[in-house]
Amino acid sequence: MAAEWGMIMEMRIEEHPILGVQEKGKEVIFFFNGQEIKGYEGEPIAAALKAAGVMVHRYTKKEHRPRGIFCAIGRCTDCVMVVDGIPNVRTCVTPLKKGMRVQTQDGVEAMKQAE
Amino acid sequence: MKRYDLIIVGAGPSGLSAAVEAAKRGMRVIVFDENDKPGGQLFKQIHKFFGSKEHRAKIRGFRIGEDLLKEAAEFGVKVVLNATVIGIYPQKEVTVRIEGVVEHYKGDAIIAASGASENMVTFDGWTLPGVIGAGAAQTMMNIHGVKPGRKILMLGSGNVGLVVSFQLMQCGCEVAALVDAAPRVGGYGVHAAKVARTGVPFYLSHTIVKAEGEDHVTGVTIAEVDDKFQFIPGTEKHFEVDTICLAVGLSPMSQLLKMAGCEMEDNPRRGGQVPVCDEKGRTSVAGIFAAGDVSGIEEASSAMIEGRIAGIAAAEYLGYMDSGESEQAIKEQEEALEGLRQGMFAPQNRGKHIETTDEGIQISESLLKKGYIGDDEIERYPGVRHTVGIHPVMECTQNIPCNPCQDACPKGCISIGQNITSLPIAVEGTECVGCGMCVASCSGQAIFLVDEQIEEGYASVTMPYEFLPLPETGTKGKGLGRDGSPVCDAEVIKVQTAKAFDQTHLLTIKVPEDMAMKARFFTF
Repeated sequence: MAAEWGMIMEMRIEEHPILGVQEKGKEVIFFFNGQEIKGYEGEPIAAALKAAGVMVHRYTKKEHRPRGIFCAIGRCTDCVMVVDGIPNVRTCVTPLKKGMRVQTQDGVEAMKQAE
Repeated sequence: MKRYDLIIVGAGPSGLSAAVEAAKRGMRVIVFDENDKPGGQLFKQIHKFFGSKEHRAKIRGFRIGEDLLKEAAEFGVKVVLNATVIGIYPQKEVTVRIEGVVEHYKGDAIIAASGASENMVTFDGWTLPGVIGAGAAQTMMNIHGVKPGRKILMLGSGNVGLVVSFQLMQCGCEVAALVDAAPRVGGYGVHAAKVARTGVPFYLSHTIVKAEGEDHVTGVTIAEVDDKFQFIPGTEKHFEVDTICLAVGLSPMSQLLKMAGCEMEDNPRRGGQVPVCDEKGRTSVAGIFAAGDVSGIEEASSAMIEGRIAGIAAAEYLGYMDSGESEQAIKEQEEALEGLRQGMFAPQNRGKHIETTDEGIQISESLLKKGYIGDDEIERYPGVRHTVGIHPVMECTQNIPCNPCQDACPKGCISIGQNITSLPIAVEGTECVGCGMCVASCSGQAIFLVDEQIEEGYASVTMPYEFLPLPETGTKGKGLGRDGSPVCDAEVIKVQTAKAFDQTHLLTIKVPEDMAMKARFFTF
């Protein structure tokens, strides 16, 4: 589940002492397990989820262990989720688009309660 | 099948540098990179780089990246993004996956500049969400503008662990502890010191026992290890953190070169499986070159030079330069590279415990074990002197290849000399004007301006400050010692910001006289 909105904003770096205010894409709505979440177009899905306080991206097939972001550069595949019905999408390198349906992955399919 | 003179795998610092040199000589060059942006890891490096002018020292990594992209564009280098090279076959045939389609290319020469991947360590709970690589932390905070966590424990005291810890604090995260199984800090002492003085505790000879949490990290237990890296019962320490960051080294991504039939070796000094190559980056297969981390783990500055050398060597191999011309061009680059490979952190010294500097001064034991120089040790270094009036104090105590401070001072107060790794010396008989250029130019944030008596009973200390919010003149707070503990009340008496300081602000605090050589950070 996504965290409270107040916490969400806290994860975004509003102003950075070296980088200043980082440029963002357009603010868009997408769906995480059916729930509306705001993110910025073009940022990795994983970044938008992280900002929203989502930690678990999937559960492993055999032992049902949780996995989240690990490498954040598309190498480790820990962060894969079901995106617009397609499983095993590396959320850390897949740009966010308006209206995307992102679901927690269980094994290789969307988690049951995550419609 | 499309043909190019030169195919380069990887658009990071070495790949782009190679492309520039080759394109300059008129070669048709194509660079493939699996990422959606060029630059490799350079754009995540927000700290000022070390080295000398020729290595672009004191310039922040991402700015070097911007300049490299400009240079590549200027010479018409073609970079194909979202393009993963999946195979190198005989006759330099290359297969690339672009948008799900495998395309065939053929090069007359190939440069592999595929970089490295992060190592990991396993412990109970290491697969929990919240355990991340240090590279992941840098990517999230410095590229995507999202904090990797609220409270973080860093494992690994090499330069990556130290630099990323500092960057985490810069973006507003709390670093609960810095932990390393090794008995001594692995990275530059100056990087350790700038983390330690903000109050981050260092736990050397400690490692992670367990990451705790059901669905994600909620805490971590560490414990001390003996000299055989076995846990010592009863030494456990617990931290409530939501993130554990692993900075435990890098491994070359050399699989493509192995596939291409290049002779490989397992070389721990180079970080693992690397191609056997000569000083020009030539592998055992004629026309296939390697540059950057793929041929041995170093850092971005040397990767860029290696890339330039490989690019020149490829131009020579294909007859775009005669050998005399290329020898001269390579020689210049090699001299620059040699400059970076000096000092106690040079590749040939990896893993060695060096106890004294080249000058014969004892290395601070406290720096190696706790991350900061002891108050009783600081006076032994040649950059630390007492004079009347404002003067620089250089707390630079290890032989590392870096010298911008000596060029920064318009009054000649600081001398390093010809040898780039020598410790900076406070030159006798010179007069400091307090401009602060040395403070801002020090990539290690190890230079302070000290006036031991600004008025009866009070001294001033000017320090580099790269955090938000920036305090203002009149802000009252605490002066922190090198170990990060509060040592005195302090008041900000000046805040300097200038374009030449490049985002490093200079904070001057007023402290009791006896704290002039002790207060090294400020909190409020």
